[in-house]
Amino acid sequence: MHSRGAQLTVALVILGVLAAGCAKRPATAELASAPAPTGAASTTPGSMTAAPAPSSSESATAAPAPAAAAPATSAPAAPGARPSPREFVAVAELKDVFFDFDKYDVRPGDAKILDANASWLKSNDNLVLIEGHCDERGTNEYNLALGERRAKSAMNYLVSQGIQASRITIISYGEERPLCTDKTEDCWAKNRRAHFLVKPR
Amino acid sequence: MKLRRIVALVLVLFAVVLPGPAPVMTPPAADAQGMDVFLNVTGGGTKKLNIAIPEFTVVAGADTAGNGKQLASVTGADLTFSGLFSVVAATGTIPANNAEALRRSWTDFAAAGAHAGLHGLLALRGDRAEVEMRLYDLTNPDHRLIASKKFEQPIASARRLAHKVADEIVMQFTGERGIADTKIAYASGPRGAKEVVMADYDGAGAASVTRNGSINLSPTWSPDARSLAFTSYKQGYPDLYRAFPFERRPEQTLAAFAGINTSPAFSPDGRSLALTLSKDGNPEIYVLDLVSGTLRRLTRHAGIDTDPTWAPAGQMLAFASDRGGAMHVYVMDPQGTNVRQLTTSGFHTQPRWSPRGDMIAYTQRTGAHEIWVVDADGSNARRLTNGGGDNQSPTWSPNGRHIAFQTNRQGRWQIYAMLVDGSAQEPITKNAGDSTSLSWSPRLP
Repeated sequence: MHSRGAQLTVALVILGVLAAGCAKRPATAELASAPAPTGAASTTPGSMTAAPAPSSSESATAAPAPAAAAPATSAPAAPGARPSPREFVAVAELKDVFFDFDKYDVRPGDAKILDANASWLKSNDNLVLIEGHCDERGTNEYNLALGERRAKSAMNYLVSQGIQASRITIISYGEERPLCTDKTEDCWAKNRRAHFLVKPR
Repeated sequence: MKLRRIVALVLVLFAVVLPGPAPVMTPPAADAQGMDVFLNVTGGGTKKLNIAIPEFTVVAGADTAGNGKQLASVTGADLTFSGLFSVVAATGTIPANNAEALRRSWTDFAAAGAHAGLHGLLALRGDRAEVEMRLYDLTNPDHRLIASKKFEQPIASARRLAHKVADEIVMQFTGERGIADTKIAYASGPRGAKEVVMADYDGAGAASVTRNGSINLSPTWSPDARSLAFTSYKQGYPDLYRAFPFERRPEQTLAAFAGINTSPAFSPDGRSLALTLSKDGNPEIYVLDLVSGTLRRLTRHAGIDTDPTWAPAGQMLAFASDRGGAMHVYVMDPQGTNVRQLTTSGFHTQPRWSPRGDMIAYTQRTGAHEIWVVDADGSNARRLTNGGGDNQSPTWSPNGRHIAFQTNRQGRWQIYAMLVDGSAQEPITKNAGDSTSLSWSPRLP
């Protein structure tokens, strides 16, 4: 009933117009749209279900199995080497250090805090978890990376002061665990921190 | 020759919908009926195709839930969202199997300015709902039937019938299926307790994907729209998992290396996943083969490399890096070579390659965050939002005509969508809590 020849032609013309309107380069726009991930759109809804490989119902059960297993096996350091963060507790002697906006280097004034933390850790043979945190400004994934770098900066400093790297685990929470939720510089400054937790060996 | 009239009308109507330069279009080779349209698009405009959508007529079963009215309303909202249609208001239904009543209705709608009419016929049988859509051309006195098609769904997901009808109507007038039958996945909840949820693309029908009580972030759809990769702290550390929200199937662990496991991005063929890992010292981009489980490192730099995104043909990736000082968008090939900086001056994260391949959306930080797009060759960077608050996490509709994003312009983080030129910025979610970290699905299977 539908899809008569002329109408299809029209549809193509209109599509061309739409693509050109978006892309500003009519010639390349239509080419560029061809290999899109949803390129199966030109097929029927039924055949859509079979489109890309990993989860079509048959291959789904086959493919993901190695996918699930393989990364775990190719990450020998992961299991066991990562104690559960829940087992760590804060101690009053270990103080937070804070960071400038968008920075992860230890501020000169904070070095003495890390010196004191290192000195306490030398006389208390605990495992250490260093959390890296960010303020809410910044996008999620970037902040996860930035928080990690803050934790790592603090870790590197402790190691430079003679704490064994093997005692230390780091974790980034990005902007996900703020101490303070106001939208002020004071508050943001409190959130840009490395926090120290310990657990007995 | 009536056919040619509607053809010409539709062309004119659509030609003025999208702003832009004035490309001179010639149609593909004329078919047997000798179509010969030569179109010169000049400038923008807001003229849309007016479509009449009376309540769907119930032809079987008892519509106690008011589905006939709701489906017409949702179809209308979908077509309005497309930016291509204007819905002509209507009340009442057209009786079934009554040619004269249909003719009178369409005549009235045509007089009210409608160019096309949708007659939906709804049959309710047990727990199934079936809709037959009949699409009419109201610009000629015969009210020619343009298309008719049937869709069926469990009655519990009857809303999808409206989305499918809307997508078919868009298909009839543009040659490409619409994007209403899609989902948006996002993280919902306050910091420290975010779960992944998914909803229809218009925000309706939100349903939990995760319920693990930890922090869950960055849900990302696979190209077959059947699974979501996401970062979760459910085992304590930020690891990557894969959920199958439409199936009873356990979550898979994709990457649980020491350090961060973030920023999942499925390759267009669904066989691999680009991701950010810091297991080798600092955040770098890798590609995980989902079949063999092998891991390939793409970036080697002391800076932060994150936010990978694939070009639609899989021949390139874009990512964000601070190797040049501030974060900027770079592109590289899937071997990690031929790295090229795409954006300069500013602070840019979250690049997302458009499904058409022609543009990359990203988040620029200048005090507040704004959504920008840049052509894939690095030219023509332009800002799309100017919303008073922060605007982040752009995600493309499968046809590349819309971008959804998170904004706190009204207080809480909510999901909004806009057309790719930045117009028509409208809320998708109006949730009580924060809705962030979103991903627009491909068309559902």
